[in-house]
Amino acid sequence: MNGLSNMPLLSVLLLLPLAGALACLAWGRRAAVVAVMLEAVVALVLQSGSATPALRWIRFEDWAWIERFGARISLGLDGLSLLLVWLTVILLAVAVGLSWPRYRQPGFYALLLTSCSGILGVFLAQDLLLFYLCWEIMLLPLILCIALWGGARRVEAAFKLLLFTLAGSLLMLLAFLGLFLLHGRQTGDYSFALQALGTTVIPPELAPWMFGCLAVAFLVKVPAVPLHGWLPDAYQEAPTAVTLLLSGVLAKAGIFGLVRVALPLFPATWNSFLPVLGVVALVSIGYGGWLAYVQTDLKRLVGYISVAHLGFILLGLAASNAMALQGALLQLFNHGIATAALFVVVALVERRTASRQLPQLGGLWSRTPQLGAMVLFFSLTALGLPGLNIFIGEILILLGAFRVQPWWGAAGMLGVLLAACYTLRMVQGILWGVPRGPEKMADMNRGEALILAPLTVLVLWFGLYPMPFLTLLRGPVEQLLTHIVTTGGLP
Amino acid sequence: MMGELLFLIPLLPLGGALVILFAGGRMPRRMLSGVAIASVAASAAMTLWLWPLAGDRTRATLFTWLDVGALQLPVEILFSPLAAAMTLMVTVVSALIHVYAASYLHHEPDIRRFFTLFNLFVFAMLVIVLADNLLLLFLGWEGVGFCSYALIGFWYRNPDFAAAGRKAFLVTRAADVLFGIALLWLFRLTGTLSIEAINLQAASLPPTTVTILALLLLAGACGKSAQLPFSSWLPDAMAGPTPVSALIHAATMVTAGVYLLCRMFPLISLSAIALAVIGLIGAATAFYGATCALVQRDIKKVLAYSTISQVGYMFLAVGAGTVTGAMFHLLTHAFFKALLFMVAGAVIHLAAGEQDLFRLGQLSKRSPTLFWLLLVGALALAGVPLTAGFFSKDAILAACFARQTLWWTSLGIAGLVTAFLTALYAIRLVYLLAADRESASGHGPAPRGLVWPLLPLGALALVGGLLNLPAVWGGHETLGRWLETPAGALPSHDLEWGLAAATLLLVAGAWLFIRNRYRVPPTVSPGGAGVSFLAAGWQLDSLIRVIITAPFEKIGCLLEKSVERRLSATWPAGLGRLCQVTGQSWRVLTSGYVSHYLAAMAWGMVLLLAMLVVLLVL
Repeated sequence: MNGLSNMPLLSVLLLLPLAGALACLAWGRRAAVVAVMLEAVVALVLQSGSATPALRWIRFEDWAWIERFGARISLGLDGLSLLLVWLTVILLAVAVGLSWPRYRQPGFYALLLTSCSGILGVFLAQDLLLFYLCWEIMLLPLILCIALWGGARRVEAAFKLLLFTLAGSLLMLLAFLGLFLLHGRQTGDYSFALQALGTTVIPPELAPWMFGCLAVAFLVKVPAVPLHGWLPDAYQEAPTAVTLLLSGVLAKAGIFGLVRVALPLFPATWNSFLPVLGVVALVSIGYGGWLAYVQTDLKRLVGYISVAHLGFILLGLAASNAMALQGALLQLFNHGIATAALFVVVALVERRTASRQLPQLGGLWSRTPQLGAMVLFFSLTALGLPGLNIFIGEILILLGAFRVQPWWGAAGMLGVLLAACYTLRMVQGILWGVPRGPEKMADMNRGEALILAPLTVLVLWFGLYPMPFLTLLRGPVEQLLTHIVTTGGLP
Repeated sequence: MMGELLFLIPLLPLGGALVILFAGGRMPRRMLSGVAIASVAASAAMTLWLWPLAGDRTRATLFTWLDVGALQLPVEILFSPLAAAMTLMVTVVSALIHVYAASYLHHEPDIRRFFTLFNLFVFAMLVIVLADNLLLLFLGWEGVGFCSYALIGFWYRNPDFAAAGRKAFLVTRAADVLFGIALLWLFRLTGTLSIEAINLQAASLPPTTVTILALLLLAGACGKSAQLPFSSWLPDAMAGPTPVSALIHAATMVTAGVYLLCRMFPLISLSAIALAVIGLIGAATAFYGATCALVQRDIKKVLAYSTISQVGYMFLAVGAGTVTGAMFHLLTHAFFKALLFMVAGAVIHLAAGEQDLFRLGQLSKRSPTLFWLLLVGALALAGVPLTAGFFSKDAILAACFARQTLWWTSLGIAGLVTAFLTALYAIRLVYLLAADRESASGHGPAPRGLVWPLLPLGALALVGGLLNLPAVWGGHETLGRWLETPAGALPSHDLEWGLAAATLLLVAGAWLFIRNRYRVPPTVSPGGAGVSFLAAGWQLDSLIRVIITAPFEKIGCLLEKSVERRLSATWPAGLGRLCQVTGQSWRVLTSGYVSHYLAAMAWGMVLLLAMLVVLLVL
C-alpha cells in the first residue's frame, strides 16, 4: 500500500474527469463511462494507504502554480471532503447513467465531466485562487447544458442562474482579493493559501463586509431563501442529470464553502452571524416546505423539498455545536443521495407518463409496482422516516439546535411535519388513486434498477449504521469547533 | 448470551417481511402467508421461551446507532415485565390476526404487499415495546405510523381510502411534533435519551418543566392513540382491510400511546397537573367516543369510535395513577376488540361486503358460532360482570373514586356514564346484527380460517379478568404483582362492591332500553340534527378543515402567487433588465463609426502625452 500513499491521487482525481471530457470529444460518449469508472476506483482507494489518522489530512498535495501571486495548487483531503468526493462521484455516475438513453451527443457528457472536475476541485482546494477557479469551472458547463439541452424556457432559466451565481462569485472574488492584499501588506508574504490567510488580522470595520460578500456568494449557491430566485426555473428546465448535480452536489459546495472558507477566515464574524443564519435556515425550512406543498410540477416540487432540507443543514451550522455540526455535515451526503434519488424517480416516472404535472398523474402503483415502491421509498426518506438517512441528520441537527436555542429546535420540528405534508401529497398524486395516462407501461428495466439500487443501499446504510461515516467527520468538526471556540465562541 | 436472543423477537417478523418482499413474487400464495404467520408465531414462541429474562429486567445491546458528542445511542432493548406483558400480547394477537388475514384476503391479488407491510408493522410495534431509549422507540413509533398509512390505503385505487391513510399519518405526525419537542427537551435537560435514565433523573427537574414535558408527551400519546383533539383519523382509518383494523387500529398501535405514558410514568407522575389533564382527556374522549358510537351505521365505525372511547379509559387510568389498571384494560381490550373486529370482518365477508348495520342481520341463524363470539365480545365490551372488560374497567373507575377528590370523583362519574353508553352501543350492535330481516346475501358459511383464530380470543375475552382478579373477588392481582407498577389509590372493599353493583345495574338498564327499542327491527330513518352531529363525530373533521387545513392551503397558494413570484421572477428579471440597461447605455461607446474611434484614439494619445509630460516635469 505504500505505493498508493505516494501517488498523487488527488491530482489524478481532479484531472481525470477533464481528461475524460477531452476523450469524450475525441472518441464519443463511451469514454465518459470509462472516465467515471476510473474516477470511482480512484475515489475508493483514496482512503487506503493514508497517513496516520492523527494528522488533519488524509492526503495532502502541493504543486507550484503561479509563483508571482503566491498561488499554489494545494489539495487537502480530510473526512469531510472524502465524503463529498464520494458523493460527487456517485452522483456523476447516476447522472451519466440516467442521461445515457436520452442524450447521445458526446458534448453533453464532456460538459458534465468538466463540471465534475470543478466540483472536486472546490472540495479539495486549499488555495483560494484555485478554489475560485474551480468554483467557476463547476458552474459554467452546467449552465451551458441547461441552455443547450434544457426544456422549453431553457435560455431564460440558464440566464437567470448565470446572473445569480456570477454575481455571487464576483463578490467572493472581491473578498478573496481583499484578503490577499491585506495579508500581503501585513506579512509581506503574498499568498492565497487558506491556511496562511486564516491568520490575517482583519480590521473590524472591514470584516463584516468581506464576510457578507462570502456569505452571499455561498448562500446563493445553497440556495437559502430569499436568495433562491434562480432555483425553480433552473431545476424545472434543466435536463435531470444537471438538476441532480445542481441540487445534489452544487448546493453542498455552497455549504462547504461556508464551513471551509468563511468560517476559518472570519471566525469572530461567523459567531455574530449565527443568529441571522438560524433565522434564514428556519425561513428556508418553512418557506420551502410550504411552497413544495402547492407545487404541481414534480421537478419544481422536489426542488422546493431540497430547499427545505438544505434549511435543516443551515440550521445545524447555525447551532454550531459538535452534535449539530456533525449532523449537518453528514446531512450533506444524505441530502445529496436522497434528492438525487428523488429526481431520478421523477425522471423515470416522466419517461413513462410523458408528464410531470401532478394532476395528470395517478395510480402508477397498479402498473409499475417496482417503480412505485422506489417512489414511495425515497419519498419516505425525504419525509424523514427513522431508519432512513435523512432522519439521522435531522435528529442530530435538531438535538444540537435545541441545546443552543430551544425555539430553533422546536420550529425545526414543525418543518418535519411539513415534510410529511408535502411528500405524502406527492406520493398520493403519483402512486395512488385512479390510474391516469397510458394503460400499459413497462416497469423498471435493469439499467434503471442499477441506478437506484446503490442509492437505496446508501439510504439504508446511513440510516441504520451511520457510525463509520460520523467517525470520518469527527476530525473536521473538531477543527471547526476550535475555530469557533478560540474566538469567544458560544455560550 | 440469552439476552441477545431477545433481538430475535422483533427481528423475526422483520425477516419475514424481507423474505416476502424479495422472494414473495416467486412463492405460491399458501407459502407466502405461511411465512408471514410463521415468523410472527415464532416471535410469540420466542417471547414465551425468554419470559424468565423479564424478571431480571434484562438488557441487550446490538450495536451503536449514534455516538456523537454527548449523545450515546445504542440499539438496546429492555425486557422488563411491562415490556414482556405487552410483547406477549402483541405477538400472540398478531399471530392470530395473521392467520385470520390469510383466510380473509384469499381473493386479494396483492397479498405480497399486504403481508410485507403486516409483518413490518409487527416489527415496528415490537420495537416500540422493547426499545430502551426514546429515539429507538421513535423509530418504531414512526414505523407503525407508516405501516398504518400504507395499510389503510391498501386498496389505493379508491382515492378516498388513500386519503384516509394520509390523514392518519398527518394527524399522528402533528402530534409527534410535540412528542419530538419533548424528546429534544429531555435530551437537553438530562443529556440522555434512555427512558430509565430519564425517569431516574426526573425528580431533579424543575416542576414546571416536568409539567410541560408531561403534557408534550401526552400530546404525542394522544396522536397515536386517537384521543381528543387528535382523534379524527381513526374512524377514517376503517377504510383499510378488516384485519388491519383489528390489529393496528384496535389491539396494538392505538394503545402505543398508553404504553408510552406507562413507560414514562415516573416522570409524568411528578406533575399533578399533568395527571389531572391526562385523566380529563381520557374521560372526555371516552365519553365522546361512546356518544359517537351510539349512532353509527357502519359496523366498523361503531367499533372504531368504541376503540377511541375504550382507549380513553386507559388514559383515565394513567391519570388516576394506576398503571396496572391501564395495562390491564389495554390487554383485555386487545382481546375483546380484536375479537369484535374479526367477527365484524367475518360478518362483512358473509354479506359480500355490506357494512351497513341496517342491512345486516340474521347472524344468529346464518352462523351461530359467529353470533356467540360476537355476543362474548359485546358482553366484555359492555362490561357485563365476570367478563374481562368488567374487571379491567371497574379497576379504573375504582382508582378514580378512591382518590376521593372532587376532580377525580367527577371524572369517575363521567366514566360511569360512559360505561352505560358503552353497554348501550354494544348491545345495540348485537341486536342489529341478530335482527330478523332481509339481509344482504353473500357466499355460504364463514371459512374455518376466519373462525378458529377467534376462539382463543373469545376465551380470553371471557376469562381475561383472571389476569388481575382483585382481592375482593378472591384473586391475587397477578398482573399487578408481575408488572410491579403503581396501582394508584387503593379502593375500599365497599367501593368495589358498590361499583360492581352499579355496573350491573347500568348494563341491565341498557339492555332493557335497547331491547325495547330494537326488538322489532328498526327501519332506516335519517335521524335528526343531533344524530347527524354525533354520527359525524361532533363535526370535528369540518372544524379541523376550517381552522387548519384550508388556511394552510390558501396561504401556500398565496405565497406562491405573491412572494415567490417576486423572488423568482419579478426581481431577477429586474436585475437582468438593470444589466441590460447598463449595457445599453455604454453601448454608445462602440458606435461603429470610424470617425468616433479615431477621435477617441486621438484624445487618448493627447491624454497619455499629457501624463508623460507631467511625469517628466515632476
